[in-house]
Amino acid sequence: MSDHLSSAILNALADGELSGSELARADEHLAGCPQCTSRALAQSLLKSATARAGLRYAPPPHLAERLARLASQEASHPSPSQATPRIGWGFSSYGWAAAFALLLLCVSLFLAQRWTQRTSVASQNAGLVTEVCDQHIATLAANSPPEVVSSDRHTVKPWFQGKLPFSFNLPQNLPGDTTLDGANLTYLRNQPTAQLLYSIGRHRVSVFVQEKRDGNDSKRALTDHSGFHVTGFRTADLEVVAVSDVDPARLSDLTGRIEEAQAPPK
Amino acid sequence: MALLPWKRAVPKSGPPTSAFEDLALPLLSSLYNVAVWLSRNPADAEDLVQETFLKAMRGFQSFERGTNFKAWIFRILRNTWLTSRSGLAAMRTVALEEELEERGELGPRMVPEGAIDRQTPEVNLMRLNDRAELQAAMERLAPPLLEVILLCDVEEMKYREIATVLEIPLGTVMSRIARARTALRGMLQVHATPPRESDAGGANR
Repeated sequence: MSDHLSSAILNALADGELSGSELARADEHLAGCPQCTSRALAQSLLKSATARAGLRYAPPPHLAERLARLASQEASHPSPSQATPRIGWGFSSYGWAAAFALLLLCVSLFLAQRWTQRTSVASQNAGLVTEVCDQHIATLAANSPPEVVSSDRHTVKPWFQGKLPFSFNLPQNLPGDTTLDGANLTYLRNQPTAQLLYSIGRHRVSVFVQEKRDGNDSKRALTDHSGFHVTGFRTADLEVVAVSDVDPARLSDLTGRIEEAQAPPK
Repeated sequence: MALLPWKRAVPKSGPPTSAFEDLALPLLSSLYNVAVWLSRNPADAEDLVQETFLKAMRGFQSFERGTNFKAWIFRILRNTWLTSRSGLAAMRTVALEEELEERGELGPRMVPEGAIDRQTPEVNLMRLNDRAELQAAMERLAPPLLEVILLCDVEEMKYREIATVLEIPLGTVMSRIARARTALRGMLQVHATPPRESDAGGANR
């Protein structure tokens, strides 16, 4: 005799879901197995009992009347989608119009957002350039010497310890004619900032080093302002902006050296 | 909305909406019965059935003639229930089926199936005649098991139709039916024979 019938087979048997061959096999087994026969019987008794017990609630008469009324109302005043036979794409013109309007709305919202983002970035940049130039001019105008006066990078860098929540490197080799004059602790955009003072020939240069605030790595589009050249770069943690009235190429040369110094030693 | 095209005898003539009436009104008792079972409240069930009718009437265009109207409208009923207050509450408590089974929330702890299978059917027979007790046991079934039993036993739907209504695979229908029946048997027997060993002999009192 084959193995006993599984409960899946017994359920399918009670529900009349066995295929012809499965049914034949099950019948064959049941003919010789009283245990499975009694289980199969129990299964169909349970099914018929739940079928009776499950029929428990009858709809109240008013519900049937209300639904019949609804159905006949709908029949006498068919909605537009029901009145028009389905054509082609099977979607009413109202649907397409609504979809198009929604699409238009989404596109315009997207564009508006992009535009606001761009203008806010542009105004941020313009604000930074103005602030940097003001600080540079104020430093030039002041008669007082820098807070730390030294041409030695090993003096200037440690001076910022405990004054700034970040650190940076100063280049060892400066381009010819360029000297380090000293440094100030200052504030840019409400953040503590190192202002490094260099001279290129007789031109004075301010290099502002501060912690990067946003995760944005893209280069800022910095412009000239009031005759001063403004340039800069960003590393993973720092944002550096240099301002001077010197020839832009020489200014870039200096910032290039500073940028190289920030790279981790190999 | 592509229903599987198992053709069942459904009248399909006349203008659309009167065809809808012809098809839907005879199913009112079935829909209402299942609606009360699911929502466990006659007032909610009335709302549920009415909303189902309205949705079905408006979506009747998308119903493919010649396919199974009963499965179609039951699917609408069930989806409407799922988004109703009672449906959300019921389904929130029902996580993944396997998880449920592990936690034993598909009804009271079941007796291992092997033990039930050794039981003589007379015990079941006696208890099954007690309609109120069976109804109480059905009420204690978790919603996914209750709905499958209602569709299979009460509405006499085929497994394929149930799979369409519940939007689950055929295999899941079969395993839920098996689990629902095991749970029902377990509940009825636990009630019937608290000390099983001593009672086994005198089951056919």
